[in-house]
Amino acid sequence: MVNNTFRGGWLIGVLLLSLALIGCPKQSPQQMRYGTPSTGSGTSGMGEAEIGEGERLQDRVQEDGEGGPLQDVFFSYDSFELSEEARQTLQANADWLQNNAEAKVEIEGHCDERGTAEYNLALGTKRARAAQDYLITLGVPAERLSVISYGEELPQCTDANESCWQRNRRGHFSVLR
Amino acid sequence: MSRGGPPLRMTRSGVLLTVIAALAVLATSAPAQIRIEVPNPGEAGVPIALSPLSNPDSHAERQIGETFARTIARDLTLSGLFRVLDRRAYIEGPEGFVLDRINFQNWSVLDALALVKGGFWLNGEQLTIEARLFDVTQQKQLGGRRYIGHKRDVRRMAHRFADQVMLFLTGEEGPFNSKIAFISNRVDGRIKEVYVTDLSGTEVRRVTQDRTLSLGPSWSPTGAELLFISYKQGGPHSFKLDLATGRSARLDARIAYGASWSPDGTHIAVSLDQNGNSDLFLLSSKGRLIRRLTHHSGIDVSPAWSPDGRQLAFCSSRSGSPQIYVMDIETGQSKRITFQSAYNTDPAWSPKGDRIAYTSRSGGFRVMWIDPNGGEATHVVRGEHPSWSPDGRYLAVTRRGRLYLASRDGQSVQQLTGGSGNDTSPAWSPRLP
Repeated sequence: MVNNTFRGGWLIGVLLLSLALIGCPKQSPQQMRYGTPSTGSGTSGMGEAEIGEGERLQDRVQEDGEGGPLQDVFFSYDSFELSEEARQTLQANADWLQNNAEAKVEIEGHCDERGTAEYNLALGTKRARAAQDYLITLGVPAERLSVISYGEELPQCTDANESCWQRNRRGHFSVLR
Repeated sequence: MSRGGPPLRMTRSGVLLTVIAALAVLATSAPAQIRIEVPNPGEAGVPIALSPLSNPDSHAERQIGETFARTIARDLTLSGLFRVLDRRAYIEGPEGFVLDRINFQNWSVLDALALVKGGFWLNGEQLTIEARLFDVTQQKQLGGRRYIGHKRDVRRMAHRFADQVMLFLTGEEGPFNSKIAFISNRVDGRIKEVYVTDLSGTEVRRVTQDRTLSLGPSWSPTGAELLFISYKQGGPHSFKLDLATGRSARLDARIAYGASWSPDGTHIAVSLDQNGNSDLFLLSSKGRLIRRLTHHSGIDVSPAWSPDGRQLAFCSSRSGSPQIYVMDIETGQSKRITFQSAYNTDPAWSPKGDRIAYTSRSGGFRVMWIDPNGGEATHVVRGEHPSWSPDGRYLAVTRRGRLYLASRDGQSVQQLTGGSGNDTSPAWSPRLP
């Protein structure tokens, strides 16, 4: 992690600028990444007023998600166990890491909103570590993998239903450039 | 006004605020006898009339007298013990605030049992307030206080007098001269800063300017400092914030999830990352490691001190689901005390020592309490993350991004914060100077 300080003012500028340049794109090209900027897909159909008001952590979505090189892994409620599906995803992620030997990855552990902040912060670490440990067993050198927990602080979506909560209970992989 | 030569004290904010306890000039009979029976929270409260303060010298700055009465009204309503009578019904004006100048029939016809009247004087920026509490039926003064300070301190003076009204009528001081720290993203949805509000909810101050994620504030026993978790130097670390200067310093280099001060201020219990798992550690108040407290592969978080400083309640997933445990710090022995739900977190030990409040998931989230030795858990209120008032009679909780204050049995609930943004993680301060 080079710089974890969130530069909010810079970000607003980029968001507004990108809107001004591109209008209202279906997929906003500029997405925020907590700490450092990066690219990815975004939410759709925002007007300018909504950007100011909607400038919230929840909009920081999928910067390396669909279409990115590394896929998220998902967890059950209050669990950091890797499902068979998660293991398959991690195998694909390990393959990519073997083919991109310079890439370093920060694994983010996330939780859904149901629970308490402090417990979820610790649980997020457990999730990130579970993914990290499995990648190491698949042959990815440990020094290329760092972990950070965001607990329930940076949800992908904020609806109160299981499909949304499931999306939030994730291990996310950020390629550090 | 400095007649009578009251003892003056310089508070941290540099403001002179004087309290003369049981002043001979004010108290006609001390100690005050409790004649008015105060009900339990949730029952019909004691009807009390709160007259605006009068200014015998001038008609200027009348809002000071109004603010004083309004602040006390809110506090006493919040207490759940009083029913504040509607101002518009008052027959007698604010003037005449000593015993022999009050016509108590003007108040008994309104069914008031208790009455607050008083006066204020301005000398430049210096404000002097005298406030008195009367028993309407007995036509007696139950107590009086004089406050001297800056005129911007009028709400603080009112909170302190509300605490005194509670003392005179219940035998125990109120919790209103205190504050609540919390986390909010109200300014910028993506970032979370630490805020402090008074109990009116009207004086809300942001105390961090870090533009990052901040979590879990916790007060020092003096109320001068806050511990909190921040991402401002990378992964979450614990920081100590001096509220007077606004400066914060990292407490420990390791990844941290939460921290809390011991009641005597000498130690800090903290949940730290230990090889990918969270364990509890004991630090000195300066952050020096004293000893590791838990050795377990499960998550151990949310240390909460018993008021005598000998035990910690905490949350552990060692049984397979998060549950509340109590640890004897000296021996390191832990005992699980919650069994009724598969998700019990965020313990908060009552300042009286008799209850541990916590968050429980069963359907939605609710705040429960349980005896520190275990046993049957009791529902208090819907919400999460309880924090006790310094007198142990109230709990601050968060529910759907708003802070609420509830009486300890949940009978009386008042909303404290509102507006845009999510307000979470309330931490009730000790009584402030």
